[in-house]
Amino acid sequence: MLFGKECRRILTSLTFIIYCFVVGLFFVSQYIEENKGDPYIPDEKISEDHDVIMNGAVGNLANEYLANNYICYPYGFYKSVRLNEDDSQKVEECLLEVTGLTHDELMDIRDSGEHYYVEHGLQETMYYEIGELPVSDTITYERFCELMGQVDDILGGGSSYKVEDLVVTYSYVPMTEEDREAVISDLYEKDRVAGGYARLFSDYVGIDLGIMPVFVAAALVSADRRKRVSDLIYTRKISSLKLIFTRYAALVTMMFIPVILCMIAAAIQLIKYFDFNDLALYRMFTLPTFWLLPQLMIVTAVAMIVTEVFSSGIAILLQFAWWFSSIMASGAKLSGSISKFDLVCRHNTVFGRDEFMLSRNDFIFNRIFFFIAAIVITAITAYVYELKRGGRFHGIRLFGKDSIFRHKA
Amino acid sequence: MVSGCLAKIVSSDTRHNYVLHYLAALGVVLLTPVIFGVSRLDELLAAQPLEFFLPLMGAILMPAVFMPEQNESIREVVRSKKTPYLGVCFMRLLCGAVFITALTGAFVLYMKSMDSVVTMRLFAGSLASTFALGAAGFFASAVSDNVIVGYMTAVIYYICNFGLKDKLGVFFLFSMTTGSFEEKEWLCILSVVLVVSGFVLRRLFRER
Repeated sequence: MLFGKECRRILTSLTFIIYCFVVGLFFVSQYIEENKGDPYIPDEKISEDHDVIMNGAVGNLANEYLANNYICYPYGFYKSVRLNEDDSQKVEECLLEVTGLTHDELMDIRDSGEHYYVEHGLQETMYYEIGELPVSDTITYERFCELMGQVDDILGGGSSYKVEDLVVTYSYVPMTEEDREAVISDLYEKDRVAGGYARLFSDYVGIDLGIMPVFVAAALVSADRRKRVSDLIYTRKISSLKLIFTRYAALVTMMFIPVILCMIAAAIQLIKYFDFNDLALYRMFTLPTFWLLPQLMIVTAVAMIVTEVFSSGIAILLQFAWWFSSIMASGAKLSGSISKFDLVCRHNTVFGRDEFMLSRNDFIFNRIFFFIAAIVITAITAYVYELKRGGRFHGIRLFGKDSIFRHKA
Repeated sequence: MVSGCLAKIVSSDTRHNYVLHYLAALGVVLLTPVIFGVSRLDELLAAQPLEFFLPLMGAILMPAVFMPEQNESIREVVRSKKTPYLGVCFMRLLCGAVFITALTGAFVLYMKSMDSVVTMRLFAGSLASTFALGAAGFFASAVSDNVIVGYMTAVIYYICNFGLKDKLGVFFLFSMTTGSFEEKEWLCILSVVLVVSGFVLRRLFRER
């Protein structure tokens, strides 16, 4: 059977062995090591209070605007942005609308306070002691979000005003003893313990699954060309659709087996540390499958199509760029911020059920979207393969002999 | 005569097989100021772009040294030639190293012009990380005879530096951002050992 043969090919490939080793290594060193003993309970919680969010954002924006120094983390790394006069003017307009102040009133507030210096690298930036700024009574939360989105666009993204992150950036408040008890009770009652650990498990394993499958898939697809068996396979009776989907199913199945083994190990660890009656163990299998399988599928599908059309090198380069930007875009926010098209969804805590539920709809959309996209891309790969088989397409070479950038007489 | 022949091989090789790799490495350098701040940084902050991002050039260029001969047909043609195959590979590696050094140097000068504190030791440290990352990929590629395994090794080594910082010890790539430079000597030694052993093992087991 073709499926069995493809699985055996994958099982004996060096890239798959390394893949298994990496998934296992990261699972043990990150997840297992971290979860020995009692879990860490956070000191703060998200309040979601619109007033808290608007006050926090307005205060920060006013400070950064007056200093004309905006600290951004566009890809998770520090970047200081200084705006020119036009852009600064646009930010001021947003700030004035949110606060309901006039330009002169804002300048009066600035001049009435003390100033102080903060070092960023070699740069000493002057900030003003402006106290708490008012928020306009007439502004709605929706309009506020719109204005913050405009400011984030002007700053080039990655700022403290990114709309999706406003709640997690500004609405953290210290936890009271009651809050801590509620968080623990959520873990036991709503998540039945395994739900919280399943999210943390998916977070860690998702990092590997955003990049590692590309190597296994690219190696398998390019092996035909490398071993000079492409022409032999082209002459076989089997349809391209069946061949490509069987190969794809074999790749996804084989690469998901180590993940299932990790789930079993994580479940055993839970049984070791918690009372069995408190656990809804099935959640350690259902949530990670819904979380990780679409991710594995999309990475594999993209790797297959890019390798068929271009080459394995370009597939690896593209996947690395996608994975890196997805990981770094989340920056320091490792929980509570999952958007519709994130490849790697992060939620790096056992607790924080409330934070997770805030982006639950986006998360569900995200995973279903990638699941469907993966199937569509695989169907397109089968079509490309069919074209190659019929001699109507030979792949695209960017440079070198017969490349698309080469002038043809 | 020999040097002229080698120059011809290298230039034709680059045109046919490595333009995309060199462009990708150039892309890494051009993308760095977009992702990182580069102006008026002190030594610790200036180390960030030099250590976190520029080393990716090594991961792109060095494991690809054996790439053209991954195709069995090309390998058979190469085997029939008088010019030593590993000599050509060494020239490719050397070209990659020169290109990496030139781009890193140009980026360091650019940072300097933006009033950041970039010293010679930052430049050398960045190169050490780049070559260590590339050499890991090169070694894996040479031993496994599979360029994809080479890229995979380089990427795994890179990721390990984010998650397994303490366990990597002297082989930690991003030490300058924590103010430590002694790891760089070890990275240089690691690079040389991996490149030399890559060639030796390739000669012993693959190109006999």
